[in-house]
Amino acid sequence: MKHHPRLFEVLQRSETGPLVHEVDFDRKLVGPTIKRLTDKYDIRYTGEFYVNCDDDLADRVFQAGLDFASEVGVFNQSTSRCITWTRDEIEIAVRTCPAEASVGAGEQKCTIVARKPEDTNRIALFGGVVGIPFPEHLYLPITLSFLNQNIFDIIDSASLETAYGYPIKAGTGWEVLGAWREAELVQEALALVGKPGMPFGAVQLSPTALGSLAGVTWGGLRTFDHNHVPMTSEFKVNNDLLAIITHAHNHSGFIGAYYNPIYGGFVGGAPGIAVAVAAGMILLNQVTIGHTFCTRPTHPFLGCDTTPEILWATSLAVQALTRNSNLMIANLAGPVSGPGTRTILYENAAFALMAIASGVSELEASHSAGGAVPRHGSGLDARICAEVARTMPGLTRLHANELVGRLVKLYQPEMQHKPIGRPFEEVYDIEKVEPTAEWQGIYDDVKEELIAMGIPLDRFKKM
Amino acid sequence: MSENEKIISEFTEYLLGERSGDPVVWVRSVLNAGLPPLDFFNNIFNPTMTIIGAKFSRLDIFLPELMDAAETAKRIIEQVIDPMFIEQKSSSKTSRGKILICTVQGDLHDIGKNMVSIMLQVNGFEVIDLGTNVNTRTILDRAIEEKVDIVGLSSLMTTSMSYMKEVVDLRDGFGHKDKFAIIIGGAPITAEFATMIGADGFGKDAFEAVERCMALISRVKS
Repeated sequence: MKHHPRLFEVLQRSETGPLVHEVDFDRKLVGPTIKRLTDKYDIRYTGEFYVNCDDDLADRVFQAGLDFASEVGVFNQSTSRCITWTRDEIEIAVRTCPAEASVGAGEQKCTIVARKPEDTNRIALFGGVVGIPFPEHLYLPITLSFLNQNIFDIIDSASLETAYGYPIKAGTGWEVLGAWREAELVQEALALVGKPGMPFGAVQLSPTALGSLAGVTWGGLRTFDHNHVPMTSEFKVNNDLLAIITHAHNHSGFIGAYYNPIYGGFVGGAPGIAVAVAAGMILLNQVTIGHTFCTRPTHPFLGCDTTPEILWATSLAVQALTRNSNLMIANLAGPVSGPGTRTILYENAAFALMAIASGVSELEASHSAGGAVPRHGSGLDARICAEVARTMPGLTRLHANELVGRLVKLYQPEMQHKPIGRPFEEVYDIEKVEPTAEWQGIYDDVKEELIAMGIPLDRFKKM
Repeated sequence: MSENEKIISEFTEYLLGERSGDPVVWVRSVLNAGLPPLDFFNNIFNPTMTIIGAKFSRLDIFLPELMDAAETAKRIIEQVIDPMFIEQKSSSKTSRGKILICTVQGDLHDIGKNMVSIMLQVNGFEVIDLGTNVNTRTILDRAIEEKVDIVGLSSLMTTSMSYMKEVVDLRDGFGHKDKFAIIIGGAPITAEFATMIGADGFGKDAFEAVERCMALISRVKS
């Protein structure tokens, strides 16, 4: 997608848009606009639903998202300027976004399609620990723990703690080396399982353009792999991110953009999160001109996206977008619990039910233990999401709401204790890359419990 | 409800924008009615700020309300309490100490750092916020220039954690270890890491950061 005129406009406007102090962008633009729009469109959280079942409310959230996108835009921290678009430009971009895109190559090529709420179309499944720090000696085993599930379409990588034993430091040669090493190790894992064309996203946490660009050069991400591009909270980019976006376009890469608003932060509570996600995905489409748009709203103290308020807000925003556009929306399951606990399986199953009924195109798992505790993640954590997604096509929102309600009761009392579970090497035999008998036993036990609850995981066939 | 509890309740409502009228004018009227400024500061102001901090910890209020309350409180200190202390030649101080806070180089995340910054202000610290992606030399130079008591460093990324060590190394290497303490925090940061790099403290969240700063400030001041 070389010489993209819309991208030229983004780069140009990031240098010529209105000047705003960052503190004013946060305090005078983002916060008050979100508040005004939640009032204007009467978006309220009652606690009655875990999965939104109100179409009219979803449509109002979409309108609020459009309003926000055209009134506020995106802030470029490097130039202190807002990148803005007219309402017409935004509506045209939403109308003309791709409703289908492919990633991967050969037998591992995967097509992602736009979905609607309660849709029966296939969801793309993305497996990985998504930037959770892992030491070098566990990097291959953790990647293989996802590949060995034989259920994921796309693989995401961990973040290396060191490269060749040295700490990886942002903005230095170590960042470049770390990015190359991550890409190299993921490809080694793909070769080991005989799936060289399987798409992957790596160099997750490259903090500057140095690492990201190094990871997308010869020997790193291939032209059919998955480029991650974030918009930081709330509604911000910088020149490094714009450089990464530009390079991804010229590399003909698939762009999976993401934006994760903070619950209780500048956008406020559940209604604010719903509007922020709707606006955020619309603005990601403007600024990245990407393919999929992922969100994982984050609880400020628990680090998860599975509290009842966040589940509701996410479901509402996803429905707003999937009912009213062809944007391909993705969600990342981020449980507060970690590997080896029953509650991570309840949380991930609940999140998957919410996401598939709301119409996501791509479901990613698992940002276990809030996504920030080193070595706390495993392939089996994510498998439950994949099994739920594959066995419940066409799940209605009402049914999802009922099931999620039952699951929330099982994990919510434990959330404040942050049950981060155990590190990867304690729940997996890292030589054989298999779950320990104990962790597999817990999984099988919870699976039986979910089957008894009416989630037909017994129908799941190995792919 | 005691008289103090009534005033605290009313003050809380003013700071959270639940009452109309200027909070500064209201505080002046309370003091004009005979409550000594030091009593107001110790028995009304500080307990109210604690209540507001607790409300945020339960997410009964959100960051914008917390920031508004902190700004109003700062205005009250600057316009009413401090001038009265000066007028009365009181040695009492409304600031617990001066803290420089920022996200270290290579990291642009700011919401966690902002929460700590506001919670510190709510708890009576003077805070200088340098923002995100701040290089080590700037942190050191500003800390010395501003004569701060504590430097708070945030990082959400493993690739930026090394810069925390760099700040500690430069402070100690250039002979400034006794000038200010360093406290660190952020999602991947642990107490073990803080000890390993020679930081003076670690806070796992905004609330613990405030507690640690309270403890550090008495050490630094002594």
